Amino acid sequence: MSRREPAWRRYLRLLGPDPRADVDDELRFHLEELERAFVARGMSTADARRAAETRFGNVEPRRRQLHARSSRTLRRVARGEWWLGLGDDLRMAFRKLVHQPVFALSAIVMLALGISANTAVFSVVNGVLLRPLAYPDPQRLYLVREIVDHFRAAYPTFPANLRSFRAWQTQVQSFEQVAIAESRPMVLSGDGDPALIQGVRSSAMLFGTLGVTPQLGRTFRSEEDDPGHDHEVILTDAAWRGRFHADPGIVGGSIVLDGQPYTVVGVLPASFHFPGAEQLGPLTHFGARVEFFTPLGLDAKQFDPLGEFDFAAIARLKPGVTAEHALAELNVVQGHIARDAGRDAGDLRAALWPLDDQVVGSSRTGLLLLLGGVGAVLVLVCVNLANLLLARVPERLHEAAIRAALGASRARLIRQLLAESMLVAVLGGMLGIAATWLALHALLAFAPATLPRLDEVQIDGRVLAFAVGVTLATGLLFGALPAWRIGQAAGAARLKAGRARVGETATVRRWRQSLIGFEVGISTLLLIAGALLTISLLKVLHVDAGFRSDHVLAADLTIPPLTLPNPTERRQFIERTIRDIGSVPGVATVGWISKLPLTGETSVSDISIPGQPTGEPVVLANYRLVSGPYFHVFGIPVRAGRVFDESDRGRKVVLISESVARHFWPGQSPVGRTIHTSWGTDEDQEVIGVVGDLRNLRLDGPPTLMVFIPDWAPPMEYATGSGSLVIRTSLPPLAIAAEVRQIVHSIDPAVPVTALRPMDDVVSGSVAGRRFQASLAIAFAGTALFLAAFGIFGVVAYSIEQRRRDLGIRLALGARPATLRWMVVRQGMTPVAVGLITGVAGSIVAGHFLGPLLFGVDPHDPVAIAVVVLIVLLAAGFACYLPGARATRIDPMAACRSD
Amino acid sequence: MADFSQQILRGTLDLLILKAVSREPAHGYEIARWVEHATGAVLQLEDGSLYPALYRLEERGFVTADWRLTADRRRAKYYTITAAGRRRLRDDTARWTQYAGAIFAALSMAAPLPRNA
Repeated sequence: MSRREPAWRRYLRLLGPDPRADVDDELRFHLEELERAFVARGMSTADARRAAETRFGNVEPRRRQLHARSSRTLRRVARGEWWLGLGDDLRMAFRKLVHQPVFALSAIVMLALGISANTAVFSVVNGVLLRPLAYPDPQRLYLVREIVDHFRAAYPTFPANLRSFRAWQTQVQSFEQVAIAESRPMVLSGDGDPALIQGVRSSAMLFGTLGVTPQLGRTFRSEEDDPGHDHEVILTDAAWRGRFHADPGIVGGSIVLDGQPYTVVGVLPASFHFPGAEQLGPLTHFGARVEFFTPLGLDAKQFDPLGEFDFAAIARLKPGVTAEHALAELNVVQGHIARDAGRDAGDLRAALWPLDDQVVGSSRTGLLLLLGGVGAVLVLVCVNLANLLLARVPERLHEAAIRAALGASRARLIRQLLAESMLVAVLGGMLGIAATWLALHALLAFAPATLPRLDEVQIDGRVLAFAVGVTLATGLLFGALPAWRIGQAAGAARLKAGRARVGETATVRRWRQSLIGFEVGISTLLLIAGALLTISLLKVLHVDAGFRSDHVLAADLTIPPLTLPNPTERRQFIERTIRDIGSVPGVATVGWISKLPLTGETSVSDISIPGQPTGEPVVLANYRLVSGPYFHVFGIPVRAGRVFDESDRGRKVVLISESVARHFWPGQSPVGRTIHTSWGTDEDQEVIGVVGDLRNLRLDGPPTLMVFIPDWAPPMEYATGSGSLVIRTSLPPLAIAAEVRQIVHSIDPAVPVTALRPMDDVVSGSVAGRRFQASLAIAFAGTALFLAAFGIFGVVAYSIEQRRRDLGIRLALGARPATLRWMVVRQGMTPVAVGLITGVAGSIVAGHFLGPLLFGVDPHDPVAIAVVVLIVLLAAGFACYLPGARATRIDPMAACRSD
Repeated sequence: MADFSQQILRGTLDLLILKAVSREPAHGYEIARWVEHATGAVLQLEDGSLYPALYRLEERGFVTADWRLTADRRRAKYYTITAAGRRRLRDDTARWTQYAGAIFAALSMAAPLPRNA
């Protein structure tokens, strides 16, 4: 028969289902049956075939239709089976986990911790480093800094001068726009107590330069840069919501700042953030939470073209203009400014710094190290889990061999094992993402306020994607190795061996030992980093600041200019406050300073001595207005002469710090000499005393050159409107806080106490960044060490379990338990030693990156490394010894019989 | 007559196939012959028109198919009714009987309607 199927075609079916062939076979069978029936009724073969085709009807169209239909079905069925199979695998994985609750729980919790810590740190890194500044085209934004040749030794660059800014506005063609801003905290009064709020005085084009449009009202107009139209204010969204109940009617209304009415002309969008602290360059300092902007309102003619570099300047370059080109043009303009000033001020040049680099700048290294550390912890979690799974390879091998014998493909076996690790990972990940929310709050509460853009940190799509990615990656990472091992072995395994004979293979043991070495290496590296950062922190805290902060309460006051417009009134207010507080029981001494130590740099100006040859490098000092008792409150030693007292009133006198004295009069006494000061007024002053050196700006820097001027000295006495009372007490400082606040309020309720805290907190706050880094590094390192020890314990305990018989026989043959214990410990410690050596070597390489974060400690400090090595050895030794001790308690008889 | 039987067929072919395999598994040729015999050749359907219906029933899980040997040892694809198929057969039979009964009753009744008024 011509339609009979060729025999070979049946074997094709072994290659897998063939739906087309099935359809063909089925139709062929049907036609043959019809044909046979017609032949049986006496038709000729040819007639019977024609009749069969007629009876069937439309053979070829139907065949094509069925072909299409059956392939579609097959695909759907295959897909369905794959999912069905995966469902089976997951159900089975779940059952397995339920039967090993200790393993499952510890794995899930370990992963959840790892994933949530990673996600939290990543969200900070994301908010601070990865998300571009929230301004359009941020790559065209640059900070403009001025370089004054004379001052280069002390200050390589300065903020901008008002006169320079005016020149740039009209003469620099490369700038699309340029704007300046300076910090301007003001006292807001109205409902409730007056409060000092952070603000910015800015030129009109600031918002245009940054590319920000207000959500309500308008921004400033260029005529408001000049005096006379400057009683206007733009609120940030936070201030508008927090202080004015998001009332849209506020626009056009007025609010009272520093006792004067300001018209609200606009409200900025919620997405707008202004950089805080020194993110706009050294010598500028903005509040962390700026609430309002006021117009510039300044007359450039009143400004010295070569002094008063007070403003942060931001320029937006025209599209397509390079920074080099803009800088070249800018420097030509700077040359003109210097020439027109007509004074021998040396060279005046400029620098352009990319704004985003500057805003993020110094935090980058620390944050990336943080991400590295927390990432390493997660890797260790994975390594431990992989190790736990590898430990169970032999018993799983038995099960896998059975499944393989029953026809499971290797792919299918691997999928089953991966399903198990993925299930753990996904459960851990879900728990972790939930915990991230909490972790992030903890992290943000704990992070130093100087970390830029902290208020922009949040869990966004990118953070969630990161968490999901990390979760899946961990599932694969800790599941892949064991799964691959089992899949590989099961293919070759024979069922001939009983469970007990399927021992730990040499390969698995090597893998597990490498993993231990890796864990120890990472922990060592993290521990050394943590130790170095901690030593740095301790060194910074124990550095001789030059003043004693214990038992001192510091109260910041701001007197609104209109409340007490007259310098005499302000002085009387301050003096009365000092007197009243001085009579509080427990208070020893009360002093006054225009700006507390360690709260930022301000009032920087040059000093010289009369007759000093021109051309010498200019010396810049920090000027402070203080009262005489200030030095007593802080225990600052008087090295020569004396501090101010009543008899000095009306005289032009100053105190200088030791470094200033050494600079001008090396080896001689400066007392009675004359010094020329330039802050506020150019005058000769008599040096009446020398005080000990102070680290006034930062504990981890050199002593600051300081000049102290009496707080009553004209013409700077106006500055006493804002400053700090420092109060030495025999009580805990906070015990008198309420009383201090009460006294200030009773003398003048319009004067707010803007901050009230122990001086120790100020000191400690100044190293918050270091503390944050060091604590996290130690936390990560500790976690890593714990994980490594846990891993070692697991490996050693398991290998002893595997060798019960061997150990039992040795004991039975008379081996001493101590010898056996030592053998176990020695074998366990071999990978530890390898890891230690790699970790220490790695730390020597990594020291290069850590260097900039350290203080007073070498990145290769031998003591730190030795201590870490000792700690790792102890922890690892303990982790080996615990199961080792158990090994020697094996009952030889039982062990031998057990197989 | 042919048109009418095709119309009737479209709704009832599935039901007939399920009925055909309800006692024992059968291949396509057997099913075609049973339908032809059982309906007294009134329906006059082409054998080929069974297959789309068979494949559809298989996809929906009312029958399963597998290759077996016939009595004279030839390979043929046999269709077996599933539990779902049986349920479907029972439900549709009941519905069909009720429907056919109603139509029959209606057609047997005298027209026009008897009036009471």
